[in-house]
Amino acid sequence: MSHDTHIEIKEEKYIVTDGNKKWSYGLMIAGIILTVIGYFTYHPSVEGMNLSAEDLHHLVSKRFWANLLVDSYFTFIIATCAIIFVVISKLSNASWYVAIRRIPEAMSTYMVIGAGLLLAVIVINFYVLHGGIYHWAHPGVMETDPLLMKKTWYLSKPFLLIRLVLFTAFWIYCAAKIRKNSQNEDLIGGIENFEKNFRISATFLVVFGFTFSMMAWDLMMSIDAHWYSTIFTIYNFATGWVSALTVIYLIVWYLRGNGYLKIATDEHQHDLGKFMFAFSVFWTYMWVAQFLLIWYANIPEEVVYYRERMFGSYSFNFYINIVLNFIVPFFLFMMRDAKRNRTMGFIVGGAILVGHWNDCLLMVMPGAMDLPTTISEHNPMGSIDIPNQGIGFMEIGMITFFAGLFLTVVMKALTKANLYPTRHPYIYESALHDVGV
Amino acid sequence: MDTNKVILGIYNDPDHIYDATKKLIHDGYRVRDVYSPFAIHGMDRVLGIKRSNLTVAAFIFAMLGICLALTLQTYTSYFDWPINIGGKPFLHIPTYIPITFELSILCTAFGMVGCFFAVNRMAWGKNADIIDIRVTDDLFVVAIDIIPNKTDIAELSSLLKNNGAIEIREREFED
Repeated sequence: MSHDTHIEIKEEKYIVTDGNKKWSYGLMIAGIILTVIGYFTYHPSVEGMNLSAEDLHHLVSKRFWANLLVDSYFTFIIATCAIIFVVISKLSNASWYVAIRRIPEAMSTYMVIGAGLLLAVIVINFYVLHGGIYHWAHPGVMETDPLLMKKTWYLSKPFLLIRLVLFTAFWIYCAAKIRKNSQNEDLIGGIENFEKNFRISATFLVVFGFTFSMMAWDLMMSIDAHWYSTIFTIYNFATGWVSALTVIYLIVWYLRGNGYLKIATDEHQHDLGKFMFAFSVFWTYMWVAQFLLIWYANIPEEVVYYRERMFGSYSFNFYINIVLNFIVPFFLFMMRDAKRNRTMGFIVGGAILVGHWNDCLLMVMPGAMDLPTTISEHNPMGSIDIPNQGIGFMEIGMITFFAGLFLTVVMKALTKANLYPTRHPYIYESALHDVGV
Repeated sequence: MDTNKVILGIYNDPDHIYDATKKLIHDGYRVRDVYSPFAIHGMDRVLGIKRSNLTVAAFIFAMLGICLALTLQTYTSYFDWPINIGGKPFLHIPTYIPITFELSILCTAFGMVGCFFAVNRMAWGKNADIIDIRVTDDLFVVAIDIIPNKTDIAELSSLLKNNGAIEIREREFED
């Protein structure tokens, strides 16, 4: 509706300032320093356990690789879900998101680095560390463990690597294509690229639905190889999706606060905030669905997963997870004004990001920090549980490094194209987006 | 409302009625309401409509639903008739979540519908007083109060006409 609002569509590119560089590089350097300090000062606290010096050495290495897996996975699913946000909005023929679509597009460029890091973690764990944090990948485990024997055809190292490479390559290809078409549109106009993106998005989303499930099984669920949950993948998707929305929301606030992206208003911010609110509830729904069925059925194979997290040394992480990911967004972000308020947005956004990082940590750490042992009557799982090693320099340093890396990549990608599509058919409609009083 | 006579400006374009309403309010006419087959973006701001309190009602009803559900479940499965099901504890909040969730939604939905009916004075058997039957199809109507000895009907009519009205007529409300 072309009312009297004056809208100026102009070419606008993000310029990385010295301050930005200082921050992003500073985060990366501080992260590396903290991680190194953490790595060399870490003495596993396993009082009362009879562990050899070699085992303790293994724990240091395991903690490092588990952290690397957590953070590269977390940032990778954020980048992937960012492009899925564009895809879903595109397929639902939404118009409101057009003004901010360059931000998720820029975030998707991180997928290349993210996938590379994930692949490196897997390859090194499988072939250099002889299994490392993946219990099932240790030599001899799949052959002797009666519970894992049936899974041999699926959990084989080469098969896992091949499908991981294929899936991530396809996602990166689709994301790059979508971004390319979107940028071409700025140059030539017309609706040719608009329609091309529609076809790619449809294909991408169908493939993504299946392949993301497999990736979540392979990378996350296989750490606790004895355990399985059918809702685990949608739970992982919820984690990535709500974190991606939060990152988009925060970047839009940042850009608007610095004089960019005048075309996006509080209305866009409000809609993104509603998404964050809604999908925090969605995440909680998935969490409860997974927890409650396992609690009710009480099958030892499944319950072991929650037993370790709820009653063991991880109980703080377990309960803070619900507080940060459900209670904080639910009550602080319920009001309309909260979603339109920058300060409140950063508080809730920060809580969601920390909460979901903690969520990923909770998925990996208890399973990864186990030591393998022989299967016996007293130890049917064939592993010794190591108590929670807490959140130390290594955890903080690693996520700091990844935050810096992510920001560097996204800022660089933002400079490459206009901050909003100038010749998209829906750009005026998006600029006039209004959610009402 | 000290008057029950209105002038109706009937339009066939949402943009025209938007501009006309803006002008009318700017010129100091008392616009009673704008009727439209679909929501016109920005019209609520022009008319100065305040944000509805329905959301607050929704929150209160949801809390009511949660309290109801928790009370019901605690009473039945802990105080009144505890049944041992698979050795599970009698009082355990996680098991109560699905029913709490459902009842809070049920209470919110019913409560909001009830509030909506009450606020809009809607009841079974009451006939709807539609301002102009064509507003349910493809036309847009702006209703302006006629204040006796103040509103210049001729001037108002020409103003509406100049802003694209396809028809202008007077109408009286019964209440």
